[in-house]
Amino acid sequence: MAQPPILEARDLKAYYITEAFGVRRTVKAVDGVSLSIQPGEIYGIAGESGCGKSTLLKMLLGEFEPPLTPVEGTVAYDFGEGPSDALGMDEAEVASIRWSRVSYVPQGSMHVLNPVRRIGDTFHDFISTHRPMPRRQTNEMVKAYLAEFGLREGVLQSFPHQLSGGMRQRVTIALATILSPKLIFADEPTTALDVVVQRSVIQLLKRIQRDHGSTLVLITHDMGVQANLADRIAVLYAGKLVEEADTRTIFKAPRHPYTQHLIGSLPTLEDKVARQSLPGRPPALDDPPTGCRFHPRCPYAMDICKSVEPPLVTLEDGHRAACHLITDEADHAAHSRPALA
Amino acid sequence: MTLLKEYIVPRLIQWAIVIFIGVSLTFLIPRMSPINPIDQAMGRLTAFQTLSPEATLALRQSLMDLYGLEGNLLTQYLNFWGRVLRGDLGPSFSAFPTTVADMIGSGIWWTIGLLGLSTIIAWTLGLVLGGLAGYFPDRWWSKAVENTLVSIYPIPYYIVAFILLMLFTYYLPIFPLVGGSRGTASFSWSYIGSLVYYGFLPALSLVIGATAFRFIMSKALASTERSSDYVRFAEIAALPKRRIVFRYVIRNTMLPQVTDLALSLAAIFEGALITEVVFGYPGLGYLLLNAINASDYNMIMGITLLSIVGIATASLLVDLCYPLIDPRVRYR
Ligand SMILES: Nc1ncnc2c1ncn2[C@@H]1O[C@H](COP(=O)(O)OP(=O)(O)OP(=O)(O)O)[C@@H](O)[C@H]1O
Ligand code: SF4
Ligand SMILES: [Mg+2]
Repeated sequence: MAQPPILEARDLKAYYITEAFGVRRTVKAVDGVSLSIQPGEIYGIAGESGCGKSTLLKMLLGEFEPPLTPVEGTVAYDFGEGPSDALGMDEAEVASIRWSRVSYVPQGSMHVLNPVRRIGDTFHDFISTHRPMPRRQTNEMVKAYLAEFGLREGVLQSFPHQLSGGMRQRVTIALATILSPKLIFADEPTTALDVVVQRSVIQLLKRIQRDHGSTLVLITHDMGVQANLADRIAVLYAGKLVEEADTRTIFKAPRHPYTQHLIGSLPTLEDKVARQSLPGRPPALDDPPTGCRFHPRCPYAMDICKSVEPPLVTLEDGHRAACHLITDEADHAAHSRPALA
Repeated sequence: MTLLKEYIVPRLIQWAIVIFIGVSLTFLIPRMSPINPIDQAMGRLTAFQTLSPEATLALRQSLMDLYGLEGNLLTQYLNFWGRVLRGDLGPSFSAFPTTVADMIGSGIWWTIGLLGLSTIIAWTLGLVLGGLAGYFPDRWWSKAVENTLVSIYPIPYYIVAFILLMLFTYYLPIFPLVGGSRGTASFSWSYIGSLVYYGFLPALSLVIGATAFRFIMSKALASTERSSDYVRFAEIAALPKRRIVFRYVIRNTMLPQVTDLALSLAAIFEGALITEVVFGYPGLGYLLLNAINASDYNMIMGITLLSIVGIATASLLVDLCYPLIDPRVRYR
C-alpha cells in the first residue's frame, strides 16, 4: 500500500451496557470490526436498520458516552504525522482535531441546527471555535462557500425553520465541511430527502470530496446511493462486518448471501418481476444467534453455520467476506494447492 | 405584517375580552349576595365616625353605582362601567375621604417595585443556575446549588419570611423592621439607597423561594435540552462549553419560562399579601389586608379590578415580547 491508512479500526467492540433494576443488558452493536480506510477514498458502510452502522460511526469518530462503552479494540487516525488514538482523546485533543480535520454529518441532520439561532451565527460559532476570526470574515467565507452549494446569501439571515428540509441538509453539510476536513463522516445524509434533492446532495458530497481531497465515510442503507458514491463498500450485519470490497465487486460478484440479498433489493429498470424478499428481520443484538448471525435467515444455511462463527477471510484484491461457503472453498484451495505444486 | 395580523391583533382582542368578562363578573357577583352591601357598609361606617350629610350622600352614591340596585340591571351596569372607565371608585371607607384611586395609586408603585424586581431577579437567577446545573449535573458546585435550593423549596413562605425577619432585624439588627423608605421621595442617592435598604429583606424573602422554584423547572428543561440533536452536534464540533450552555441550552429553555414569567408578574397586582404584612411594607397587599379587615368594599373592589386589568395586561405584554425571543413566532 502506498500510503498509511487515514483511519484504521482493529477488532473494535462497542456495546451498549445498561443496568435497570439489577438486570444487566448488553447490546453488542459493534462486535469485532476491523477496517482500514485510505486517504481520499469514499468508503461506504451498508446494512439494514439496527445493524450498528451509526454506532460504528460514533466509535470511529471517538464520540461515545454511556451506555455506549468501548469494550475492546482500537481506532487510530493518521493524517500523515503517524497514528493517533481516536478513542482516548481528552477534551483538548478532541477540540484540536474536530472540524479542522475530522468532521461529522449526523443522522437526521435536518434537526441539528439550533432553532433559535440564525444560520450565520451558527456558522460563526462553529468556524470561530476552530479558526478564530472576526464575524465579518466568517460571513464572507460562508457566503462564498454557500454559493457553491446553490444556497443564496439570504440563508445566513434565516432561522432553521424558514428553510426546507433539503436546504437544512445542505446547510449542515456545509457547516461540517467548510474548514476542509481531511476525514468526513456522514450518517445517512440522503435519507428522508426526495429523489431530486437526494441527487443534488450526492453531487455535493462528491464535489467536496474531490475539491478538498477529503476522505468520506458514508453510511447509508440505500444501495443505490452507495453505488453512486462509494469507492469501496463494507456490509454490516448484526454488529459484524460480513463483506467488504470495491463497489464494482460488491455489485457484480458479491460473495456473502446477505450482500446478495441487499443488492437484490436494489430496483433496476429492467426488473419488473416481484423480487423474492428475505424472510425475517435482523436479530436483536442483546442476544444474537450463535454461529453465523445470519443463519436464521440464510437460504444456504448449513449445520456448521448454527454453531461455528465464520471467519472473515481475504480473497483476491482485498475482497473480504465471512461465510462458511467461502471458508470451505478457501480451505479446499489451500489443501489442493500443495497437490498442484 | 402577518405578525401583526396573525399574532398581535388576536392578542389585543383577547386582552379586551378578558378585561370585559372580568369587569362584568365583578359587577355581577355582589348582586348575587343576599345581603345588601350598601346598607351594611353604611351602617358600619356611620357606627365608627360621624359624617357630614354631603359626605354620606357622596358615599352612598358611589356605593349605589358600584353595587347599587338602583334602576334596571342595564342602567346599573352602564353606571358601573362609567365609574370603572373614569377610574373613580369613590372614597375608601376606612380612610374616608381619601379616594380609592389615590390610595391604590400610592400603594401600587411600592408593590410593583418590590415584586417586579424580585420576580425578575429570581427568574433570571433560577434560569441561569438551573441551566448550568442541568448542563453540568456532575460538577460539585451544581450539586451544592441543587441541594440547597431543593431543600429550601418546600419550606412555607411565611416561615422563610419570619426567619429572615428575626435574624436580620432582631438578632442582627441590620435591616429595618417596617416601612418602605426614609425621607421624602426624591431622586437623591440617599432616598434611593433607603429604598434598597428597606426593600432588601422583603425582596430577599421573595427571591429565595421563587429562585428555587425556577431552578427546579429550569434544570429539568436543561437536562432534556442537553440531549437534543443540536446540543449534541455543537458538542461533537467541540464548541466551547460556555457558548453551548448559554446560546444553545439556556436560550432554548427560556422559551417556556417566559410564558411562566407572565403569570408570576401578573400576580404582582394582587400584592404580596404576606410579604407586605410581615415586613410592614406599604404596598397593595397591605392595603388589601386593611380593606378586608375594615370591610372597605370600595377598596376591595378597586384592588380586584386592578388585578383583572393588571393580569391581562402583564400577559399581553409578555405575549407581545415573546416573538422577540422565539424566531419561530416572529417569522412564519
Ligand atoms: N442508547 C442505546 N441503548 C441501547 N441500545 C442501543 C442504543 N442506541 C442504539 N442501540 C441499539 O444498538 C443497535 C445498533 O444501533 P444503530 O443506531 O447503530 O443502528 P443503525 O444501523 O445506525 O440503524 P439505523 O439504520 O436505523 O440508523 C440497535 O439494535 C439499537 O437498538
Ligand atoms: S455462514 Fe452459513 S448462514 Fe452464514 S451466510 Fe454463510 S451460508 Fe449463510
Ligand atoms: Mg443509524
